[in-house]
Amino acid sequence: MSLNIYGQKLESRLLIGSALYPSPQVMKEAILASGSQVVTLSLKRQNPAEKSGQQIWRYLQEIVKQTDGHLLPNTAGCKTAKEAVTLAHMSREICQTDWIKLEVIGDDYNLQPDPIELLYAAEQLIKDGFKVLPYCTDDLVVCQRLYDLGCQVIMPWASPIGTGKGLMNPYNLETIRFRLPDATLILDAGIGKPSDACLAMEMGYDGVLLNSAVALADNPVLMAKAFGQALQAGEQGYVAGIMEQRQTAHPSTPTLDTPFWHQN
Amino acid sequence: MNIHINGKAYALGHENHISITSALTLHFIEPQQSTFAVALNGDFVGKTDYDTTMVKNGDSLDVLQPIQGG
Repeated sequence: MSLNIYGQKLESRLLIGSALYPSPQVMKEAILASGSQVVTLSLKRQNPAEKSGQQIWRYLQEIVKQTDGHLLPNTAGCKTAKEAVTLAHMSREICQTDWIKLEVIGDDYNLQPDPIELLYAAEQLIKDGFKVLPYCTDDLVVCQRLYDLGCQVIMPWASPIGTGKGLMNPYNLETIRFRLPDATLILDAGIGKPSDACLAMEMGYDGVLLNSAVALADNPVLMAKAFGQALQAGEQGYVAGIMEQRQTAHPSTPTLDTPFWHQN
Repeated sequence: MNIHINGKAYALGHENHISITSALTLHFIEPQQSTFAVALNGDFVGKTDYDTTMVKNGDSLDVLQPIQGG
């Protein structure tokens, strides 16, 4: 069983962010501990006086080399389709990848994706030869439109970025899974606990993308391992087939020859 | 002419335009030592076009580098 991203098969179903760690070294150790083979990054204005930028770039390249993994640049901070398209092209030149985590934010309060600008940007980027991984809300119709445009991977949110609130609308997420059975669905943003990631996998999601839940843990390296294991547990549970819920109790211990039994 | 690079203003005497390659020398000491990409007035410009793409009065250049991201 492997994660399929535009035909690229990956052993790990965890995609992990590179931000907010206590140090670059902890970032590297945590990402390696997670087993993830996809690491997200971003672009910002270059400051010639600041040496840390090149250092982070070297760390990310080392991680990719050690994991036989992939960089997934994002378009964080973009509020229009035009900004996102420009940033995607800049990212492609730097990272030498057609993969782009497409983010177009429509509201500063909860960093909610703008579905209209997102669709415009996705359409243009697909024309430009990108493999688009759009970050979107848990709106079935938006996910459907993105899929129809040619996005083979769809990434609905669990809850707003960085909140750690987990899966706000399990019904919506289950419906997206049911209605888009052939899409690669990755739950992105808002994951707080390993059990959140496990739940997504039990729903039949193909993967989980997270950052804050690991980076802001007291022990990011240990939390990264925990998430890796949670995804495996959830995936295996889904594949194994989860029992139907029942309204009434059913004894699990055989009732035949129950001790001390007598007719009431 | 006056241009901006990453929001910082540069006054360039009597020149009408300069190439992106030249403009980058205002920003970097050694551009070849850095990993970056460029947008001119919000439009991406590929590295192969730095010598032939001109920066004119009032233009704005963004020079971006990779950083951590989620």
